[in-house]
Amino acid sequence: MISNSDSTAGLLQRVSAEAQKLPQAERRNFLKNGLLLAGGVIAGGALSANARAAAENLPPNVPGWTRSLGPGVLTEPYGKPSRFEKHIVRRNVPWLTADRIASISFTPLAELDGIITPSSLVFERYHAGIPDIDPEQHRLMIHGLVERPIILTVDDLRRFPGTSMIRFLECPANGGMEWRGAQMDALQFTHGMLSCCEWSGVALSTLLQEVGIRKDAAWILAEGADGSHMSRSVPLAKAMDDALIVYAQNGEPLRPEQGYPIRLINPGWEGNTCVKWLRRLEVGDQPWYHREETSKYTDLLADGRARKFSYEQECNSVVTYPCPEKPLREKGRYEVRGLAWSGRGKIKRVDVSFDGGVNWRTARLKGLVLPKALTRFGLEWDWDGGPAMIQSRAVDETGYVQPTYTQLREARGTNSIYHKNAIHTWRLHENGKVTNVQIR
Amino acid sequence: MSRFASGFLNGSPAALILGCCVVAACGADGAAGTAGDIQVTEFNAPVDQPAGHYGYGSDASDAEIAGWDIDIRPDGLGLPPGGGTVEDGEFLYEDQCAICHGSFGEGVGRYPVIAGGQGTLTESRPEKTVGSFWPYASTLWDYIHRAMPFAEPESLSDDEVYAISAYVLYLNDLVDYDFELNQGNLASIEMPNKDGFFLDDRPDVKNELCMNNCKDPAAIEITSEPVSLEVSEVSEVSEVPDVQVQSAAVVGKSPGESIYQQACALCHASGVGDAPILGERDAWAGRIAAGRDLMIASSLDGKGVMPPKGGQLQLSDEDIIAAVDYMIAQLAN
Repeated sequence: MISNSDSTAGLLQRVSAEAQKLPQAERRNFLKNGLLLAGGVIAGGALSANARAAAENLPPNVPGWTRSLGPGVLTEPYGKPSRFEKHIVRRNVPWLTADRIASISFTPLAELDGIITPSSLVFERYHAGIPDIDPEQHRLMIHGLVERPIILTVDDLRRFPGTSMIRFLECPANGGMEWRGAQMDALQFTHGMLSCCEWSGVALSTLLQEVGIRKDAAWILAEGADGSHMSRSVPLAKAMDDALIVYAQNGEPLRPEQGYPIRLINPGWEGNTCVKWLRRLEVGDQPWYHREETSKYTDLLADGRARKFSYEQECNSVVTYPCPEKPLREKGRYEVRGLAWSGRGKIKRVDVSFDGGVNWRTARLKGLVLPKALTRFGLEWDWDGGPAMIQSRAVDETGYVQPTYTQLREARGTNSIYHKNAIHTWRLHENGKVTNVQIR
Repeated sequence: MSRFASGFLNGSPAALILGCCVVAACGADGAAGTAGDIQVTEFNAPVDQPAGHYGYGSDASDAEIAGWDIDIRPDGLGLPPGGGTVEDGEFLYEDQCAICHGSFGEGVGRYPVIAGGQGTLTESRPEKTVGSFWPYASTLWDYIHRAMPFAEPESLSDDEVYAISAYVLYLNDLVDYDFELNQGNLASIEMPNKDGFFLDDRPDVKNELCMNNCKDPAAIEITSEPVSLEVSEVSEVSEVPDVQVQSAAVVGKSPGESIYQQACALCHASGVGDAPILGERDAWAGRIAAGRDLMIASSLDGKGVMPPKGGQLQLSDEDIIAAVDYMIAQLAN
């Protein structure tokens, strides 16, 4: 019933050719890390060594930690995860970028529950590394077509009426390595340029009101204080709608890698428009067409033209359990789980298929269902131990239905890099292992 | 002791009640639509009020704005006075840019290709360069001034930015060798792909909400699987891998490695500028023979294209020494 087409071999050749460009050491490390990751996945069920050691801590025996004292308060003043969770870390794909300074790391989605991404695990994307900014010496300048150009300190910003909202943050290149074919064998790498936090700060509209916008104003340039002076043009309408200047995430000050001390958040829009280490907002009457909105972050189509200012992250979803990092152990009942999100509003519905899209069942949305936020779904399923093709298909409140790869490629070709939101397929093997495939 | 314990107990019921309320209000596990929008602190549009209503912060002076207002627009707005020739740019480019972008703009390693590629945008492997893809010359000036050279942004003078921009245009066959780029003529340069972009018109796809018998099961075909399937024999490994080793391999934690990543990896991971690559013993043999002291001295003072302290002058000497020792240690593995 299922066969590999010739295009697989073609893809492998291309990937191999890409790898050949790398220094030997990087290729070796990438392969080694991939092996370890895969090994960690597969060996999940083979706990033999640990199981033997653990027997003395299992009933009817009483474990050592129940018969002794632990360390006291302030052992870890800022806290950290259990030492048994050291595998839950951001990871990168070394061959994607020339160095780690202008690069990206991925959120370990398979290890997370609920919809909030811990600050430590929010994916990273920098163009000139993480600047080490003293908040006392940081300033936000607002000028251009305004009545009163001002310079604000972080304390000034905190004095304005504040607001908080839970919103996802996604790089438009999320999944971009899969346009030509399945390439990454882990959820972390197929979908991990994605996070969701509670963001706290001041509405950008409040600040624009404060400086007084002139009549011909239509665009805002947001610029970072990092070495790349990261800059994007943002339409005034978005700035007045729901954009935020935030100083906190998940209740704590922004992390340095997330823009400390302040960043812009454009809910539901390309992550790169949410300029980090924000130092300047200039109001103007035209867009600036800077590098990150011409050379990059434009979507090249098959006919050679490119879509520009494609800000919205369209409706998307993925099954997070099972996945390559989280295989199934034995046949039986499971709750299949996943995440859905849309830059255009709330998730209305998610359907799940176990036969590659022939038949679908509607999943339950779980917990908070918020606009432009990650949304959890789950569906109980009896696995009979046979092979399966697991997919999820999300619908948002605008009625937009997550598309197939075939539909996306027909509309855009395979050179778009950005905005890949196709229905994803996990191939569940009889041994419980899960791999990334594309089907038609 | 008893007072201490009762304090904790007194706190518990309130916490539990609060917890219940939160769960109920959220409609936990509710079906779509029933959860509702419970975010009470949603975005609030500010009431209409005059500029300066709060009065926080300080007025930005013209001089303060001039220091930070670096953006350039396609119509030339923002360009400073000045200019530079292709010939001047050639020298500067070789000195400052070719290390990553190559002498002909062909790109070194994975650093961006910035010349050539015209006519490739519809090919299976399009080459998106300044000449083949960028719609405006202003973007070139803005970006070089804003973010280049990679390790020392905003270190070039305005005239140098004009000159390098002119040379990159020359590398793309857009101007002649005797051309001078300046404040007056930059906006009039027409880029080949200026009409290649159109405004976002999505949604551009429409999927159906079919639920049953949506396609022929027999016709389903796997079109691609990742390359790492080739190593699926790992499934036979019965030992639990040491996850600590695994995470250490991904995110280094020693001070030396951190400094290496911050100040040295840019070149020593990729081999840019003929830097010896981390862990490649042959490349390091000469330096090892010269000795650790000389390696440290070169790292602190700079040597050839390597700037002092890798360009990170805020680092202490001890930091740099730790990074050197880290790089030496990688040769022993």
